[in-house]
Amino acid sequence: MTKFTVLHLLDDTTPGGVTRVVDHIIGSRQLAQQAQHVTQHIRKGRLSMPKLRADMIVSHLSVSWRGLPALIALRAKHPNVPLIHVEHSYTRKFTSLNVENRERFFSLLRTAYALFDQVIAVSRAQCSWLVTRGLVNPERTRVIRSAVDLSSFEALPAPSGPPKVFGAIGRLHLQKGFDVIIPAFTQCNYPDLQLKIFGEGPERARLEKLAEADPRISLVGFCSDPVSAMQGIDALLVPSRWEAFGLVAQEALAAQRVCLISLVDGLQDQIADGAIPVAGSSISDWTQAITQAATFVPDRRTNLRKTSATLCFESNWSKLIDDCRMASLKEAA
Amino acid sequence: MTPTSNPPVASIVVPAFNVAKTIAETLETLLAQTVAEIEILIIDDGSTDETANVVDPFLEDDRVRYIKQANRGLAGARNTGIAEAKAPSIGFCDADDLWHPDKLRRHLEHLNTNPEVGVSYSGSQLIDDASAPLRVKQTPRLRRVNAAQILKRNPVGNGSAMVIRKQVFDDICFYTSAEPKRRCYFDETFRQSEDIECWIRMALTTDWAFEGIPGLLTLYRVAAGGLSSNTDRQLASWENVITKLRPLHPVFFEHYEPAARAYQLRYLARRAVSSGDGATARRLVWQSYKSSKEPFFAEPAKTLTTGLASLIAPLLHFALRRASIHQPRKDFPNDQVHSSSSIR
Repeated sequence: MTKFTVLHLLDDTTPGGVTRVVDHIIGSRQLAQQAQHVTQHIRKGRLSMPKLRADMIVSHLSVSWRGLPALIALRAKHPNVPLIHVEHSYTRKFTSLNVENRERFFSLLRTAYALFDQVIAVSRAQCSWLVTRGLVNPERTRVIRSAVDLSSFEALPAPSGPPKVFGAIGRLHLQKGFDVIIPAFTQCNYPDLQLKIFGEGPERARLEKLAEADPRISLVGFCSDPVSAMQGIDALLVPSRWEAFGLVAQEALAAQRVCLISLVDGLQDQIADGAIPVAGSSISDWTQAITQAATFVPDRRTNLRKTSATLCFESNWSKLIDDCRMASLKEAA
Repeated sequence: MTPTSNPPVASIVVPAFNVAKTIAETLETLLAQTVAEIEILIIDDGSTDETANVVDPFLEDDRVRYIKQANRGLAGARNTGIAEAKAPSIGFCDADDLWHPDKLRRHLEHLNTNPEVGVSYSGSQLIDDASAPLRVKQTPRLRRVNAAQILKRNPVGNGSAMVIRKQVFDDICFYTSAEPKRRCYFDETFRQSEDIECWIRMALTTDWAFEGIPGLLTLYRVAAGGLSSNTDRQLASWENVITKLRPLHPVFFEHYEPAARAYQLRYLARRAVSSGDGATARRLVWQSYKSSKEPFFAEPAKTLTTGLASLIAPLLHFALRRASIHQPRKDFPNDQVHSSSSIR
């Protein structure tokens, strides 16, 4: 009997979260025992979809009106193959800040999700949004929180004493909210604090301008090794305006760094793992939170158990694949 | 009125501050709603007049609750009401305004049939001190309302026009460090512009839709001297709102703020005209024009009228005062300057 094949479709090859999560699935030994995982890159905005050879197809594609014909073709050409969609992008806060015509947007999501047998939410908050907005039938959705290999983060020595070097890691884009923490940090009066911002993106010029008056703040640029970036900081700030899950917070928690998050979408899930929520999204809220974090020695025993996140991720994927295999066997019989 | 034992389908919050003269009529129109399963929450915000005595006979109806608190302002009264509300939908009616008897039923039907709508509002008929209709109406845009429209034109219009799902308030709930246990929805640090602050925050931080239903279902009272003409203070509070909310979405504000400011300045210019302050009106009209040409192109008639009115403001004021001697009750003499579309 040939091995069960799971095909992952990707349209995003940037070094961001999606690619890393899929790489993590491909590289998992536990999952490799159960099925063979392969990836295929799909050009964004293509109108059709080739006939694919797989026992199960997982879409990590971004849903859009332009991409809808391809998704319809995907369903039409594989009527008996279990189709799974992982929603890596859209959330409640994404919709709030980016979507002018919400009725139309929700129609798009309902139409697209209806083509799939299962829709995977990457955080509990996202799942609750999908269900309460009626975007997907509750029976056809499940939560698999995103994960990457955290072992090298866990191996980092924990910083001692109150945090001195604060960091922010991510694309310099409106989404990440770094324009809020720069002025907030400027208003913290401790001269020995530092803020390092790792990443590149369209907001660079604006952020540089905000940061120019404060020598404690540096925009370090893109760092290809997230572990070394994490090693250089004592605490991580995640002021995102929307975030489907927020892997970087998991990495900080695994590395026993203090992690301050904005109370949005998937980041809320991580309070249970030890992340500290910042109430409110204003500059002064962040000033207060940073000041507080800088003045006390954090409790290093975060709730994030060693590798538990990774184990959960693998067993959830493994269960999903089993369920799909059972379903298709039943159908064949 | 017979009290009902069913759980309420809607709570109506009535903020009340020194409203002995008007609150009885307000409560009568609320109790006469065609939906009977309601609770009415009167939040007495530290009144020093006879409000409590006027309200007292209404408390025989089980559906009416009276909560007294030290003065916190309109936002604080509404926050208490929202936190106390038991029903899944919450309506608001200021203690000098009146509701059309079928208003609540129509809003509830609107919310029930449109699960994505969180804020349901309608147009308003302006009335005078004697509850007689004025010629002025608020007829806001009803459909396809997005955050930009809310920022620029505030389609909700006034504080008695809306019925909102409790869920929407749960989604914007926040706590302050001064009172870490008090649930806040409206920002109590604002004593003016608290409405628009809340609506913009709702639009930018939740995915609920704003939508209006046809009809002038609120009777909105504009009493003599009820609208203060301190335009500078109003402008300052509006600017504070923008400053507070800008970090939510800097690009959005960069894009829409100039036009929104122009509309706001034009609105204040009209207010200055109606109080006869031509110099202020002209300055505001000019500032509005400098901020953005959008009001001029989007609503040329209204914008030009405002400009002209600012030039002849003292004359206009005199003429309108003369007119109001013959109609002493109609103390909102600016249907010229305050025409329809919306209060802005």
